[in-house]
Amino acid sequence: MTQFRPGRDVYVVGVGLHAFGRFPEESLSDLARDAVVDALRDSGVPWPAIPVAYFGHVYYHGMSVGETTLAQLGLTGVPIINVENACSSGSTAFWQAYWGITSGVFDLALAFGAEKVPGGPVTVTAENSPARYIGGDHMMAGYALRMTRYMEETGAPASALAQVTVKARQNASMNPYAHRKDTYSVEDVLNSRLIADPLTLYQCCPTSEGGAAAVLCAGDALDAHGIDRSRAIRIAAATLTSGNYNGRGSDHSAFSPYRTEPAALQAYEMAGIGPEDVDLVQVHDAATIGELQQIEALQLFPYGEAWQATVEGRTALTGDVPVNTDGGLLAMGHPFGATGIRMVHETVTQLRGEAGPRQVDNPRVGVAQCSGAGDVTTVHILTR
Amino acid sequence: MPVPVDERCLRLTSEDGTAGTLLGMRCVDCDVVVFGPATFCQSCSSRELTEVELSTEGTLYSHTIVRVPPAGWPGPVPYVLGEVELPEGPHVLAEVIDCPPDSLRVGMPVALALQPVSMADVADSERVVYKWRPTAG
Repeated sequence: MTQFRPGRDVYVVGVGLHAFGRFPEESLSDLARDAVVDALRDSGVPWPAIPVAYFGHVYYHGMSVGETTLAQLGLTGVPIINVENACSSGSTAFWQAYWGITSGVFDLALAFGAEKVPGGPVTVTAENSPARYIGGDHMMAGYALRMTRYMEETGAPASALAQVTVKARQNASMNPYAHRKDTYSVEDVLNSRLIADPLTLYQCCPTSEGGAAAVLCAGDALDAHGIDRSRAIRIAAATLTSGNYNGRGSDHSAFSPYRTEPAALQAYEMAGIGPEDVDLVQVHDAATIGELQQIEALQLFPYGEAWQATVEGRTALTGDVPVNTDGGLLAMGHPFGATGIRMVHETVTQLRGEAGPRQVDNPRVGVAQCSGAGDVTTVHILTR
Repeated sequence: MPVPVDERCLRLTSEDGTAGTLLGMRCVDCDVVVFGPATFCQSCSSRELTEVELSTEGTLYSHTIVRVPPAGWPGPVPYVLGEVELPEGPHVLAEVIDCPPDSLRVGMPVALALQPVSMADVADSERVVYKWRPTAG
């Protein structure tokens, strides 16, 4: 299975965010720039020292928007690459930054992402696609199909799914960057309006606006750039997969968790650890069912048992496997290009012990998993 | 003549467009069947594929009732969306018609049903769309 040959150690040395939410007065470039400035300041690396940048985004804001965004910081002549990989665009940009450094091409890299997602159901296909007649091109309907099947197979009650949102909101209530900070009860979640049965509104992530950024540096270049080693977080694995035929038949549902497994297995192998070593995890919880199936696909819980672990509080901040400690997509919101790097931001913040009221107890290994249409999965493992 | 929504997935077998069959591709080398067009077997990498007519009956693998439709949805709201497993293996996503929501059950038998659909305010947009309908038993 091994197909990656990492070279130099790579560290995340700076992270930054623009708050997630709705910002009608701010452009995509504004959101991205603020996150980048935040990350550069956090790293202590000056902008002119950055030799390459990767920008994740999905919706069209004109050509080469990564270049026009970074031009606000000053023209430095470096390569800037615009990355579109659906909801994994940000994490794909981060993955590219990692490989750009570990391969020896660059000592430093900037990965950033931003998005202004329009309201309403998200579709994948073009407007004139036959899919529009069929009625199945609907992200949340795809998750609802997964949820119906999961509940049928595992006996999970609706209240267990709702608990995923309750937890997400509790975590987000301690996060000033979150789109949704109000806390809800299980009843609130179940009584919110139905979007696609049995998914209720509060079990679907908001489409949002926001920005995220990370500065990466080769381990052997940390000292040359004056970076504080005590706050540098090592990238132990960086994997990216697309859909593959894996013997489970053609699967039309959105974000089948079966697609996550290969990326997860590769990542554990690359990091030389197993799921039992993971102290906290951020996963793609675009809907409540997504979180349960992703943490099962990451082998943190046996298939069909994540709902029980959730009910028992094992995925809460005080549990043995805290999941989506910043509120996840469900409460942070989901600006596609920013989400994957937002997960890195939270993982780094927790591993540094800088997460304030939502800090988990002494974590050493964090996983960030992000999904995207096209059966894209990224898995990053960070360690300190 | 009625026009199928996607001629690579659906072949009409009656002049009025009320009868037809779903199309798939079967791998000559490993027998895996997929719904719709394919030029390459995802399972064994063979390039020897042959068109097959798929069963017109299957079972409901999963279901949802879509209350907030995607932009441009030309049908009624809410609508039932079903993921149907065919005996040959593929899953086919489509609207389930003539189905009271409280009768939905995972595993229930359904049969292919064809209906003409037009996009609002789009000229010449009528297409025959494949859907599922519960069968007795």
